[in-house]
Amino acid sequence: MSSLAETRILNIEKIRDEFPVLHQLVNGKPLVYLDNAATSQKPKRVIKALTDFYECYNANIHRGIHTLAEKATKAYEETRLAMQQFIHAKHIEEIIFTRGVTESINLVAATYGRAFLKEGDEVIISGLEHHSNIVPWQIICDEKKASLKIIPITEIGEMDLDVYSKLLSSRTKIVAVNHASNSLGTINPIKEVITLAHNFGAVVLIDGAQSSAHLEIDVQDIDCDFYCISSHKMYGPTGTGILYGKKNLLERMPPYMGGGEMIKDVTFAKTTFNEIPYKFEAGTPNIADVIALHEAVNFIKELGKENIAAHESELLQYASEKLSNLPSVRLVGTSKNKVSVQSFVIEGIHHFDVGQMLDTRGIAVRTGHHCTQPLMERFGIEGTVRASFAVYNTKAEIDLLMEGLQRVISFMNNK
Amino acid sequence: MSGDLKKLYSEIIKAHNETPFHFEKRDSASHTIKAYNPICGDRFEIFIDNHPGKINEVHFHGFGCAISKASTSVLTKSLVGKMPDEAIALCSTFLDFINKKLPDNTLNLQDDFQAFIGVHDFPERYDCATLSWREMKKFLESNKKNQ
Ligand SMILES: Cc1ncc(COP(=O)(O)O)c(C=O)c1O
Repeated sequence: MSSLAETRILNIEKIRDEFPVLHQLVNGKPLVYLDNAATSQKPKRVIKALTDFYECYNANIHRGIHTLAEKATKAYEETRLAMQQFIHAKHIEEIIFTRGVTESINLVAATYGRAFLKEGDEVIISGLEHHSNIVPWQIICDEKKASLKIIPITEIGEMDLDVYSKLLSSRTKIVAVNHASNSLGTINPIKEVITLAHNFGAVVLIDGAQSSAHLEIDVQDIDCDFYCISSHKMYGPTGTGILYGKKNLLERMPPYMGGGEMIKDVTFAKTTFNEIPYKFEAGTPNIADVIALHEAVNFIKELGKENIAAHESELLQYASEKLSNLPSVRLVGTSKNKVSVQSFVIEGIHHFDVGQMLDTRGIAVRTGHHCTQPLMERFGIEGTVRASFAVYNTKAEIDLLMEGLQRVISFMNNK
Repeated sequence: MSGDLKKLYSEIIKAHNETPFHFEKRDSASHTIKAYNPICGDRFEIFIDNHPGKINEVHFHGFGCAISKASTSVLTKSLVGKMPDEAIALCSTFLDFINKKLPDNTLNLQDDFQAFIGVHDFPERYDCATLSWREMKKFLESNKKNQ
């Protein structure tokens, strides 16, 4: 994360005004939304882009010469350009719209994996992965009789790179890890992970679900082969996201789904496929949400990712310090290098009960295994309470969280 | 803390959560019933020792939220010494009570059933309260059929 010296202080109150959902009472208390790692709230401009589309120029894209269709197609393709710039991809056709990270990973597993994995090959993931970066690899490894290797996680929640470098071999064909962990917040040393994998000729997929709203992404600099993003985790609408893939790889990969848009020429004897990216965009896509995603990118760009990160890391530090001062609270995930996510457990009180009691005070946190069961097992726990922060959160909200937790602890201990 | 929460986490529930009834693993049990909720991760094992025709001993082990743990503890305690048919009837009564299917909730239910009345205000906790009871009822019914 950038140092404070070069960042601009953001006007958080003004930013909060952009988010209608934040200004409501939940169970009679002002909403304190601390579940941003699950999904972030949406600014007015994103919501407006959605209604504008449906009210003014709803049409199918790439298929008509009428005015509305042209306008819709142009707006859709402009988001592609915005996403190219957002992650510094070399070519615009390297940006494929999907439903989000889950679909992006499944796409790579089902096409690249199915075409290029052979019996005896190995796929490496880490112990920090979300189920969506585990299960697709299990499915394709099963099918191909390849094996799945796991980079172990240290006590503070970091990947053990020594073990990783020993796992790598000429059998390694794919490495898939996240940029930042959704359960612990750990920012992973992906550039190192990628360089090491490339030494063995393996391709690397990065799950960017938790990084896109917080970290600078430069796919050419890190030299990853695939990068996956979900719009809804970066102030954009649900139901869309991207897969970035290096052009030469995407061109060699077979298509994912068959249908309209992804074809060049169809006869019953033979079909030729469209060029990338359209080869991977079968059917009518999620046009409205893709178009609105552009506004989310603009929102982040105008605030400046480095300024967002500076504000969030201040919140994270404030929360972690306060939490660790609460008796019977244990932090889970204490790497120095984190996005604004803090998991914790309270001795003797189940996370579900904590979440329920906080909810009655209008505080939204996530409880459970966060779709990372193997990681929970690694720490010998069933789940955690997780507070995750976005640019619109404040220290005052963290104070309310602390007050709520104190009440939970004394209530359950009959004090 | 709001009144509703005090009702949800009643003193009886908190007591069962803190010192559950017969909370131990029994590898030698005649039957082990698993109750697992993949969504929240609650996971219990209930161990039954049968005497011919009768449930002799019941123990349980595992983890879950206060509501699910207390409800499993109450289940364990309630089944001791019961005939299978009585046990099935008890499960039905508890499940109907939580699901608001009893004609009158103030029926003379035992106190540790009544302790769960607060769940009625928190529909998202129905599953917590009923998890082990549902699995137990399923087990008892299929066990009866197989005999
Ligand atoms: C690290 C990580 N990977 C993948 C996903 C899946 O993203 P989506 O549900 O948007 O496809 C998530 C979302 O929870 C995540 O946090």
